[in-house]
Amino acid sequence: MDVRFTDLKKSYDGRLVLDLPDGGIRSGSRTALIGPNGAGKSTLLRILAGLESPDHGTVHYDGKQEAPRQDITLVFQKPYLLSTTVENNIAYPMKLRGLSKAQIAERVDELLEELGLTAFKKQKSWKLSGGETQKVALARALSFHPKLLLLDEPTANIDPYTTAEIERMLLAISRKESITTVIITHNLAQAKRLCDQVLMLHKGKAVEAGTSQEVLARPQNEITRQFVAGELIL
Amino acid sequence: MDTIGHGFEEAIRLIFAGDAEIFEIVGLSLYVSIFSVVVSTILGIPLGILLGTCRFRGKGILVRIIYTLMSLPPVIAGLAVFLILMRRGPLGSLQLNYTVAAMIIAQICLVTPIIIGLTYNMVKEKALVVNQLGMTLGAGRIQRLRLLIYEMRVGITTAVISGFGRAISEVGAVMIVGGNIKGKTRVMTTYISELKGMGNFERAMAVGLILLLISFVVNAALYHFQERESR
Repeated sequence: MDVRFTDLKKSYDGRLVLDLPDGGIRSGSRTALIGPNGAGKSTLLRILAGLESPDHGTVHYDGKQEAPRQDITLVFQKPYLLSTTVENNIAYPMKLRGLSKAQIAERVDELLEELGLTAFKKQKSWKLSGGETQKVALARALSFHPKLLLLDEPTANIDPYTTAEIERMLLAISRKESITTVIITHNLAQAKRLCDQVLMLHKGKAVEAGTSQEVLARPQNEITRQFVAGELIL
Repeated sequence: MDTIGHGFEEAIRLIFAGDAEIFEIVGLSLYVSIFSVVVSTILGIPLGILLGTCRFRGKGILVRIIYTLMSLPPVIAGLAVFLILMRRGPLGSLQLNYTVAAMIIAQICLVTPIIIGLTYNMVKEKALVVNQLGMTLGAGRIQRLRLLIYEMRVGITTAVISGFGRAISEVGAVMIVGGNIKGKTRVMTTYISELKGMGNFERAMAVGLILLLISFVVNAALYHFQERESR
């Protein structure tokens, strides 16, 4: 899904938190949103997900202004799982879309296997660890083959082994299904591993955008350079 | 201790002897309580959800009023219903005072705020996150509402059982509007009150134990449901 935004502005309590003249996310790309806290990354993600409306400006999805909710999903940093089994959590979006029981069962099993969660199929969601919860949330988000996948720090507070598993699965599925993916991350190594594009935000503005190799290895903007080097003083 | 012991023996005897009067009183108690709780649930859950999800002027005041009504003294509820239904009252033409219908109305007044208040608190806690989750998974408005109710199912059950507990154990309101008329509006709590007045402590204890037994069965069912849902 190709996403274009024009003159996006968003304020909270009179404070401008997002001010993007124009830009976009290329179809099939994996874009890392980077920047210090308060840069406007989550606000941009929520606007792209259709959870919030901008005060000004427009977002076009494949040329259309209305957000196609059935094709967009967002996974939060601390995902909420329904108080039921892992299987039912993953099946829920497919039930909403009227898929047959056989189709749902097949897709659930496929995702559980991909994430190494087969043993947890009948497990109640509140008995899962943080990493398992994040994996189930991811499987649920991917279950209905979204065209735009938005991830808000999907591996924050997760151990390196589980992080690697999640990254492996994300790469495999987003490549296989050509899902346009936007990931907020503070982990620049992860941004390099997972993403082909990077958008650096600072105080609500886009200060640099380009391929991850360019932006992370040879940043052109001084703020990006300081951020990448860990020298940015807020 | 003798009174309690004899009361216990009497309770067992009454249950197994099939005392017609006791069965009638227990039956009416259950009927009034269950009927009022069903109506209160039908009213209270949608109102609690509306209150929790809508923004409007005066919401803060309304919530405070509902919280106050959650602990409304039954005699006040009974008195208010009695005054409204009395012959010279606004609904006097219905001639409902000293009927089962008046008892149900009084209990609805007591139970509905409890269900609204408890539902409102659950909605406040869950609505935002469940609504956002629903939106990110492609659920429409009705589907998100259903999801919210599903996620609150244990809490809703607790609210309903709390309402039932209030209804079945209530004496002041049903005494005022029902009058404790034998064979017509006499329920367990008003009967216990009358037996105590007559000095028949054993029988009062016996009816009290039956009331406790009913309460235990209802709460055991709730506990079973909660355990099943959290296992």
